[in-house]
Amino acid sequence: MTDLTPITALGGTIARVETYGALSLTENPAMALASLALRKGQSVPSPFGMTLPEPGKWTKSGAIGVYWMAKDQWMVEAEGRAEEDFARVLKVEVPEASVTEQTDGWAAIEITSSKGAAPIKALLEKLVNLDAAAFTHGAALRTGLEHMSVFLIRRAEDRLAVWGMRSSTETLWHALVVAARRLEDI
Amino acid sequence: MLIPHPLLGLRDAQEFTYLGDANLMNRPDPNAPNAEAMFCDYVFLRDNPAGVHRELWYHEQGDRSWLVVTRNTVTHEILGAELASDVALAHREGSK
Repeated sequence: MTDLTPITALGGTIARVETYGALSLTENPAMALASLALRKGQSVPSPFGMTLPEPGKWTKSGAIGVYWMAKDQWMVEAEGRAEEDFARVLKVEVPEASVTEQTDGWAAIEITSSKGAAPIKALLEKLVNLDAAAFTHGAALRTGLEHMSVFLIRRAEDRLAVWGMRSSTETLWHALVVAARRLEDI
Repeated sequence: MLIPHPLLGLRDAQEFTYLGDANLMNRPDPNAPNAEAMFCDYVFLRDNPAGVHRELWYHEQGDRSWLVVTRNTVTHEILGAELASDVALAHREGSK
């Protein structure tokens, strides 16, 4: 019989979770994502009553998170709404802007630390060419991680999210796991 | 090598790709009477200075913006970076 059970970006029926020392990696298939781009000359809107963040920043209000992507462009996340038409909900909030559904183009991996900020900082230092000390709570940047383009979001001092291309999630997961495994002593 | 991105601060040069002389932004008018000669210069002739050079860089693994980076080709010192969109806008307003 045809199997129509939905699978996550890593191919499972439930989110993959792995723990190495202080770091836990969790796939987050429930997070919806939509991009928001302003039209030429348009004033900056405030979807869901939120102030859109400055370059390199992420803000959150309730289940909605927004991070800066490029000049006049943002990505809007919504917890637990991956199976809804979230782009349509966002479009109602910002009717003049361009909104594009992004949920299944990307996959989110949430990393949490049980020993505060130090293991997250060590992981960043190992993986990306960014100033890890300046990448504090509320920072969000796009960068290259093992030649893959990713968005990094510091959701809290002990939490980091990685948004990567859905088609290369397995490779991204492998890169993160290899780095986390080498930090088990921290 | 770090490039001082006008919006994002110091970013690693690995995130960027290089295009070439910033003069590529000044595309000649195709309707001008001497368009053929102007396009010949535009397409084939480049200055190759040993010293300060303005060049186009693309922030590919970042915010996908084009930058005009001023770099010393002898020492590789980066002297500044501006958004190419701002440079083009200033140029357009200056020529009005």
